[in-house]
This record gives sequence, C-alpha cells and structure tokens, in this order.
Amino acid sequence: MNIRKEFSVLLILLSLILVLLPLTANRSFTAQPEKLLTDVLNADASFTVDQVAEFIVREDPTVQLIDLRPAGEYRSQAIPGAVNIPYADFIRSDPEVWFGNRKVRNIFYSTGDTESDYALVYSRGLGYDNSYVMEGGLSEWVRTVINTKFTGERITARENALFETRRRAGEMFAELNSLPDSLKTKYLESKKFSAKKLDGGCE
Amino acid sequence: MAPLSSLYSFPEWLNILTALLIGTGFGFALEQAGFSSSRKLAGMFYGYDATVLKVFFTAAIVALIGSQFLSYFGLLNLNQVYVNEFYVTASIVGGIIMGAGFIMGGFCPGTGLCAMSIGKIDAMVFVAGGFAGAFLFTETYPMIEGLATANFRGPVKINEALGLSPGLFTFILVAAAAAMFWVAELAEKKFARPDITNDL
Repeated sequence: MNIRKEFSVLLILLSLILVLLPLTANRSFTAQPEKLLTDVLNADASFTVDQVAEFIVREDPTVQLIDLRPAGEYRSQAIPGAVNIPYADFIRSDPEVWFGNRKVRNIFYSTGDTESDYALVYSRGLGYDNSYVMEGGLSEWVRTVINTKFTGERITARENALFETRRRAGEMFAELNSLPDSLKTKYLESKKFSAKKLDGGCE
Repeated sequence: MAPLSSLYSFPEWLNILTALLIGTGFGFALEQAGFSSSRKLAGMFYGYDATVLKVFFTAAIVALIGSQFLSYFGLLNLNQVYVNEFYVTASIVGGIIMGAGFIMGGFCPGTGLCAMSIGKIDAMVFVAGGFAGAFLFTETYPMIEGLATANFRGPVKINEALGLSPGLFTFILVAAAAAMFWVAELAEKKFARPDITNDL
C-alpha cells in the first residue's frame, strides 16, 4: 500500500472510533441573536425573589434552584434547596447533565445579576427553554425576603400572605444557614446534583 | 487564537504575532506544494490534476477528526469555536462568483497572495481585482443587502441539521472523501495532460 492509501485508511479508522465515542458536548449555539435577546429580556425568563420564596415554602418539585457562586460561598450561605454549580464549571460542562429533564424549571442565582444572566443566555442559546433567573440574585433575596419588615397600622390580606411567605422562607433560610458545620455538610451532600435524579428514573 | 484567547486574555500583539506565524506557515506550505501555479489550480476544473481537492479536503477532515478528539479529551471546548453563519442565497450566489473568478483568474484568494509574493504579475492583477470586488461590494451593499442577508439560517452545523451525531457525520464525510479521492485519481488518469503536469 502506498502512503496515501495508508493515510486514508488511518483517517477512516479514526473516524470510526469517533462514531463510538459519546460526543454530546459538541452542541452548538443555535439560537438566532434577535430571538435570543427578546427571550432573555422577556419578563417570562425571570422570577422575582418573592416568587422564588413561594416556591421554597411550597417545596415546589418542578423548580430547581441553581447557585452559581463559588463552592465556598455556597457552603457558608445558600437558599434552601439550591444546588451549587459554580459558574466556571457550569460553562465548561455539558448542560444536558443539568437540564436533561425539561419539566423542571431551573432558576439561576448568583450574588448579583451578572453571572446568572450569562448562564441564562448560555443555556437558552443552547435551546434549554426551561432555564430562568432570580432577579437581583442573593443580595436582592436578603434585602427583600430576609430583611422584610412590616410597618404601618393595618395589613391587607394580600400583604399578609406575602409577608407570611417571606417570613417562612426567611426562617428556612436561617435554619439551614445556622446549622452546625457537620450537619450542614451532610445536608448539602444530600443535595448534590445527580444526573440520574434529574432523569427521573424511578420517580 | 479563537478557543484559547476567549479563555485567557492575550495581549493584542500576541494575537497578531500568532496570526502572522500561522499565516506564514500556511503560505509556505501552499507555495512549496505548488499551489502558486494557476495551471495546477485550474487542473481541478479540467480534471487533469486533483491536488487542490485532495489537499484541502484532507486538511478539513484531519481538522474535523482532530478537533473532536481534542474535545473528547477535554482539551478543546468546541462550544467556543466559531461556527460560520449560513446565508443560503448569498452562499449560492457568492459561490458562483467565486468559482467563475477562480477559473478565470487561475487562483483562489489565498493562493493568489501566495503567487503574488513570488512575483507573478498575473497574480498581482488577480489580487487587485479581488480588492476592486471588495470595494464594489461595500459601495453597492445598500442595494444588495436584501440578497446578501436572505434566507439566514444562523450558525448551523450540518450534522445537527441532519440530526446525526457528530461522530457518525464525521465518519460518513471521511468515507465520502476517500471515495472522492479515488474518483479524482481516476479522472487524473483519464484527463491526463502530460504536457502541463510534467512542468509542475
């Protein structure tokens, strides 16, 4: 065999190996820019902290909070039920692992809005329309939900419900974050993201 | 240095220096492979020399296979590699204009520069023609904007449009390329022009 034939056979064999490899990470950014921009700027793509508080209090199973902050910050303070995927890891990995289950609404939050908004554009651009952001991030959460105070003489039913939800969410938040370190680690370990759980295997 | 420079910020001069080195290497490879001869390039059209097809297609499939292996081993993030955007109409019209220019001038843009740098006068005229075309395009762009942006499909990949896995698509393309090379070599024998090819 001459060198050209050998080279052709080598290339064919290498590509045969490629057929057998799982290459799911090669999904491309298919969204059209205008549509993507309208999508992520739309109010439908974000939840207010009060909406998120309600999800937590109701323990809504169709919602998954994703904490994009570094692991250390997550360990010292986190919203109950959130899982930690540091932003740097998030953009390097194949999002199919996190977003495989389209019925779950994934809500990103970070300290402010920056990283969660990046993550939203990234995941929506890859076609995961089940991703959302929590507006204002953790700082807004602390300002609105945790530091909520009622001042005034009378309270309407609606205000009362809102206040109740915030108070309950605040309690859950305080409960989780005041656990002793050992218990907390245990709790967070149990919350670790497992792809299998998302697939909904035996639920 | 697209995939690297989006991860790490390199200074501007390093980006330009890298581009210069890669470009010099590319030009050198083209020239020493005989690609600054328009007779060799035109051979593709008349069938007596399929080197152009074999070289460029081999480069493409080697890059295709290599990038996917790098991605599999975690050395290259293919999500950050730029994918050309697909304007269907503009691709067809542009392809016809480019092809006509290629066979009339005897060079493609890259090999034209290559031939110009070794002092070929026809290549200098060819490159001047290229610049004139670019100038005309820019000046008349408002008139042809509708045509240029028609049928925009975004940065679509063929395997995704066909619903194939990247590995399977690569395999099909490589097999097709090998078959094409074989046909091309048959054509080289059939349309042989010893008077030209012996000079090359």
